[in-house]
Amino acid sequence: MKKSSIATLIMLFLLIPAALYFGDRLPGKGYYLTGTLMTVFALVPFFLSFEHRKPQARELTVIAVLCAIAVASRLAFAWIPNFKPIFAVIMIAGFAFGQESGFLVGAVSAFASNLFFGQGLYTPWQMLAFGVAGLVAGLLRKQKALLEKPWAMGLTGFFTVFLVVGPLLDTCSVFLAANELNAKAVLGIYMAGVPVNLSQSVCTFLTLLLIGKPFLEKLDRVRVKYGMMEAGDGL
Amino acid sequence: MRRDRFSAAHPAVSFLFFVGAILLSGLIQHPAYVLAGMLCSGLYYCLLNGRKSWKRIFWLFLLFLLLSLGNPLLNHQGNTALGHIFGNPYTLESLLYGASLAGVLVSVLLWAGCYNTVMTSDKFTMLFGNLVPALSLLLVMVLRLIPGYFRKMRQITGSRESIGKGSRTDTYAHRLTEGATVLSAMTSWALESGVTTADSMRGRGYGTARRTDFQHRGLRSWDWALLLFELILLLGVATTMARGGTAAVFTPEANYAPMTGWNVPGFAAYVLFLLLPSVLTVQEMIQWQISRSRI
Amino acid sequence: MANIQIENLTFTYPGRERPALKGVSLSIRQGEYVALCGRSGSGKTTLLRHLKPVLAPHGKASGTVTLDGTDIGDLPQRDQAARIGYVMQNPDDQIVTDKVWHELAFGLESLGCPQKTMRARVAEMACYFGIQDWFHRDVAELSGGQKQLLNLASVMAMQPEILILDEPTSQLDPIAASDFLNTVRKINLELGTTVLISEHRLEEILPAADRAVVMEQGELVADAAPRDIGRILFEQNHPMFAAMPASVRTFFAVGGVGECPLTVREGRQWLESAIPEPVRVPELPGKVTFTGEEPAALTIREAWFRYEKDTPDILRGVDVSIPEGSFFAIVGGNGAGKSTLLKSVCGICRPYRGKISVFGKNVEKYKNGSLFDHCLAMLPQDPKCLFVGKTLRADLEEMTKDPEKIAQAAELCQVTHLLDSHPYDLSGGEQQRGALAKVLLTEPKLLLLDEPTKGIDSFFKDKLAGVLAQLRFRGVTIVMVSHDVEFCAKYADLVGMFFDGQMLTTDTPRSFFGGNSFYTTTANRMSRHRFRNAVTAEDVAELFQKNQEEKA
Repeated sequence: MKKSSIATLIMLFLLIPAALYFGDRLPGKGYYLTGTLMTVFALVPFFLSFEHRKPQARELTVIAVLCAIAVASRLAFAWIPNFKPIFAVIMIAGFAFGQESGFLVGAVSAFASNLFFGQGLYTPWQMLAFGVAGLVAGLLRKQKALLEKPWAMGLTGFFTVFLVVGPLLDTCSVFLAANELNAKAVLGIYMAGVPVNLSQSVCTFLTLLLIGKPFLEKLDRVRVKYGMMEAGDGL
Repeated sequence: MRRDRFSAAHPAVSFLFFVGAILLSGLIQHPAYVLAGMLCSGLYYCLLNGRKSWKRIFWLFLLFLLLSLGNPLLNHQGNTALGHIFGNPYTLESLLYGASLAGVLVSVLLWAGCYNTVMTSDKFTMLFGNLVPALSLLLVMVLRLIPGYFRKMRQITGSRESIGKGSRTDTYAHRLTEGATVLSAMTSWALESGVTTADSMRGRGYGTARRTDFQHRGLRSWDWALLLFELILLLGVATTMARGGTAAVFTPEANYAPMTGWNVPGFAAYVLFLLLPSVLTVQEMIQWQISRSRI
Repeated sequence: MANIQIENLTFTYPGRERPALKGVSLSIRQGEYVALCGRSGSGKTTLLRHLKPVLAPHGKASGTVTLDGTDIGDLPQRDQAARIGYVMQNPDDQIVTDKVWHELAFGLESLGCPQKTMRARVAEMACYFGIQDWFHRDVAELSGGQKQLLNLASVMAMQPEILILDEPTSQLDPIAASDFLNTVRKINLELGTTVLISEHRLEEILPAADRAVVMEQGELVADAAPRDIGRILFEQNHPMFAAMPASVRTFFAVGGVGECPLTVREGRQWLESAIPEPVRVPELPGKVTFTGEEPAALTIREAWFRYEKDTPDILRGVDVSIPEGSFFAIVGGNGAGKSTLLKSVCGICRPYRGKISVFGKNVEKYKNGSLFDHCLAMLPQDPKCLFVGKTLRADLEEMTKDPEKIAQAAELCQVTHLLDSHPYDLSGGEQQRGALAKVLLTEPKLLLLDEPTKGIDSFFKDKLAGVLAQLRFRGVTIVMVSHDVEFCAKYADLVGMFFDGQMLTTDTPRSFFGGNSFYTTTANRMSRHRFRNAVTAEDVAELFQKNQEEKA
């Protein structure tokens, strides 16, 4: 695993407790401040490592294309309210190009999507949560069994969103919405998030089931035809 | 494109302002501060968006009322009961607490709205373009691709409809697979086009040198002055916060830091900070009227 | 200085037997304007890309390419990028950033050009290309022609010595194309930049070029002055001759005595001296193919349409009736609403007033997709919109499971040998026919075509015309929207002019183009002072010969 991924994972595990600890010692919604700062710190290693790598034109283009597809994908299912295939596309990026690119595609598409539909206090949180979806997918890419069967890939997506991405986004709501941080209120918000997360997970499952394999094949095709992104792990 | 002295200043000035304004609005629950936050954000929002803003302000006001008046129905803490609803006390403290929380929410939303108008993607890349050139180029590319993808997806849907695929009367399962097909077709197209884009980048020397930035500019004396001014005001507010001058407790009894002594200049610094963009905008408007009268 | 020397260049793509370039030798002097002709797949793009090493394809290459005596591969990356400018076919895909100003600056930013110099150069370029009015716009708002001009300007901002253009106008409408080529000409004349351009619109570039080079199957088959190239191709009986300008084709079709006319003006002068007044046979017999009594395949009555509630009307009371079995061409300016008209027939756009009937039945009354079942189908402007599979066969199988029908459609569209290729590996013309095969599997009786000749060369156009002729033989009615007046004049039965949201005149190509003086074919413009209704080079040649016979 690359150093940047380790750094981010450590950040992630330190993030919530640290935010809670310091947050309690600041007035008002201090915990939101610390939480958001931690989120930003968690994003930095990935961004810097991307910057450091000096990406080549084709790598940069493929990542840009995947981010834009992730943001635009919603239109294909516009007739189903709240159907968001974005996590599925991000995870495919992770499956295809590894955890770093997966994270980057997630974080950048969250940011770009907010530029189109309005930024908010949730932006850094979304960037982190969406990035983690790509990261998890990237970590699982060596498990060939998960990628071979469409339903296995779909289930991977389902659990990633339900167990990791959704709760991360809920944490943002906890910080934004809870009046006071006590176990009851926090639990309440996480519970309230369950139906939303469930529906997002189902969307991700369905989308991966339908487009997962064909997308990976398409990415393979450009990789072979144009010799893009040939390195093994990551990029 | 708006060109007042605030939006025309270096993006670092606007960025620092919004980070400061949003964080402070979120942190402080003292009613005076909350009220100042709501008024100042509302003022700047109206200055930026003109007539269009009233609709949003109206909805936010409704939200404010709903949250303030609603809070005592759920939260019964507080000593001063104004009456009883469903057998539970409807307390003044809870009402005030609700109003304060709602005020925080409304001002944060309004500041975020202003942020979206002022900090356009250009400004964002101008701020970070030199610091993280690859990332900011990536962002610019993504923003360029998205509208094209929306258009392409509509084209594909239309093309398929006119050979009898993906009709609107199909079953849900069919329409779901149709959506996936459209997305998939769009992806093939996007990846192939991406190859041309990459060629075009390499053809124009991408990767041959460290990138310079067309729009990057250093801070001018006016920008420095504004930044310094912002920092001083922020420091003033922060000191007041640290000294407990912004403290507010609502239950069981409403108790706020008094507006006396050093707390007064602290509050003034906060108001001045929040008014900064509005003042600069109004000043520019007046200046423009005067200049125009000479045409 | 910018002398390009290509010596004995041979190149083979990986996994191919036949080389894509075979012993190509060519030298181009500083400041020359060289037109590279050849049909699709003749190796033009492969050759051009070898002149820009970062874009050169992977494969086995031998021979040398030198720039001022230095092997082009040994040039520092920076020099390659700055000294050799390359503009590609697709206007959209070449754009990298989201704003016009940023795109102009992109190359200079990449080269690490200091900001002050960069600003001056970008400003200069914006003025030279007339871009200053849309300098701050989003690229998404530009038209195709503007986008391609932007691509040219952003390459020119790096001040290259050599400008290579690979079919730059194939995706543009005729007016934008002509603007673009004029700008290229201007760059060559005013800045002395060497220009190497491959192009289908020979009518426009041959008069401007110093030299024309013809490629065939990876080899150079002719390299001569533009005025002589016609004779060489004619004498070799070369298929490329069919792509020559109308004046050249007419000239050699009637014997080719004297100096070959290249432009419309020269063609006029030549006809003037060859055919004295009064003209004995001034017109060809008009064919009356459709009387207006036939049943209509498509009737549109008073159709009005706009995209949004408060945008202007695109269709403003369209009234037209298209007879069954005809090949009907709709011509008209860019953005006149021609494509919208086709979309409204398909129900993608719904007119807010008026009635559209297909085979006498209101389109609203066709239920559950029956309109597109053995009845109506449309080939979209971009054939890629129809490809969803991994192979062309998979795409055709999406329409029907019957292998017999697939084989028939593929046979008809001449794509049988391409069935197992990936649709994106095909050339423009092949994609067009592949998509047509897919459309034909709905077995339409009324076929709508949106700009079917866009971006394809004259051979593929002829092939397409052949396919369409077969369809007509089977009784299919064809409605085509096109900018390509030459194609309409040659193949359509009826031509209608679409202007300002309405269908204006409708007539046979001979009367229609014969009656127009601006919006008409080059053959007609060249001959209208002598002949009344000659609209193709063949027409002009026929009348020319008839007059010669009369004289004799």
